[in-house]
Amino acid sequence: MRVLLALTVFGGSVAHATLAPALGIGGVTPDLPLIVVVLLALRRGPEFGCVAGFGAGLLQDAAGGGLIGVQALTKAVIGFAIGAAGSRLSVTQPLVQVPGLVLLTVAEGLVRFALLKVFRFPAAFGDVMLYVVLPQALYNGFLGAALVMGLAWFQSLRARAS
Amino acid sequence: MKIRKFALLVSVVGVCLLLLTLQARGYGASARDLLALVTTPVQAGVARAHRAAFGIWDTYQDWKNVRAENRRLRDDNQRLRVEALRVGETTDENRRLRRLLAFQERLPLKTLSGEVIARDWGGWIRSLTVNRGRGDHVPRLAAVISPDGLIGRIVDVRPGAAIVQVLTDPASTVGAHIVRTRASGIVEGDPRGTLRFKYLARGGTGIEVGDVLVTSGQGALFPRGIPIGRVRAIDDRGSALFHYAVLEPAVNFARVDEVLLVTGDTRHDLATYFPTDD
Repeated sequence: MRVLLALTVFGGSVAHATLAPALGIGGVTPDLPLIVVVLLALRRGPEFGCVAGFGAGLLQDAAGGGLIGVQALTKAVIGFAIGAAGSRLSVTQPLVQVPGLVLLTVAEGLVRFALLKVFRFPAAFGDVMLYVVLPQALYNGFLGAALVMGLAWFQSLRARAS
Repeated sequence: MKIRKFALLVSVVGVCLLLLTLQARGYGASARDLLALVTTPVQAGVARAHRAAFGIWDTYQDWKNVRAENRRLRDDNQRLRVEALRVGETTDENRRLRRLLAFQERLPLKTLSGEVIARDWGGWIRSLTVNRGRGDHVPRLAAVISPDGLIGRIVDVRPGAAIVQVLTDPASTVGAHIVRTRASGIVEGDPRGTLRFKYLARGGTGIEVGDVLVTSGQGALFPRGIPIGRVRAIDDRGSALFHYAVLEPAVNFARVDEVLLVTGDTRHDLATYFPTDD
């Protein structure tokens, strides 16, 4: 199971750099590793979320060619936070999933922007939020909700089969 | 337990910040190279798989598009064929009606044009129904002609329609003569759907295959000189006094769609109003 999870994190991160453009809608691509990390953290708790986020972010940094450690840091924090809050959240409803993932993506974007600013990131905050973070947050929200529902359906099928 | 969790988070954040700091100071290249050693082959593999998957998808999409286009083109083809048929039919009808109108205007007779709306083509009866009836003052026994020749006579007039007994009807008889020799006789229909020229005096008529027969005008039922048919064969069997000829009708009764009903005086010789190829 751990191997499968490691593969999911690894594969999701590497595939993101390669496959995400194909999933683009109007130039907006989803942050697949973030969705994977959030889903895993909700089930496995903060430690797992933190490590998964770190691994996924690190690989994403390496695959994407940016500063190594930025997404590792932001995703580790997000993974930890959502893992810690997961027990108190009811995430089975799409009404929670969609805004939840939107907020998490926005939060991750804010942290990443703040971090990058330390390293003299040139883009303006408004532009980054308007053209990158918010559209991606919406996409993540709907895609994540679809994934959650898909997983729930798959699990119910498995339960019925066994 | 809680401390362990936060220790993990702090460690991870610390490692990240360390990595970022090292990169900011120019020591990040080797770490990046090391990671690239792992990620690049995987990326290449994923890209290949992605390309293959999308290649299959593109092929499937192309196939679907070609299929849809094929279906659309078939539909277009079908529609255009029907349209071409309709146009052809209309053109044909237009040509026929123009010919009929020109013929009607040329004739020195009072005629009424009619359209064939039904046919009875059984062995017992051979008739056409035209869309002219009592309301059009169609007289019974009126001659029915086309620009090619004689079709028959009206045998029944109904409200809105009239029944034409076609020359090939077994009960039909018309007085006729051979144009070339002026020898006269009777043209009758027979159950096989052919025409026979009967009561030809043996040896005296000089009839030959290819001779044209026209109405004789005797009895004043049919105007004189309307083409009936052409001799196809001469049969010597029969009585000792007479023999008969099988005729090829001048009009293709199965395909005639518009006709003229002769409603006025029939005492005219119409020989010059019909096409002759003699």
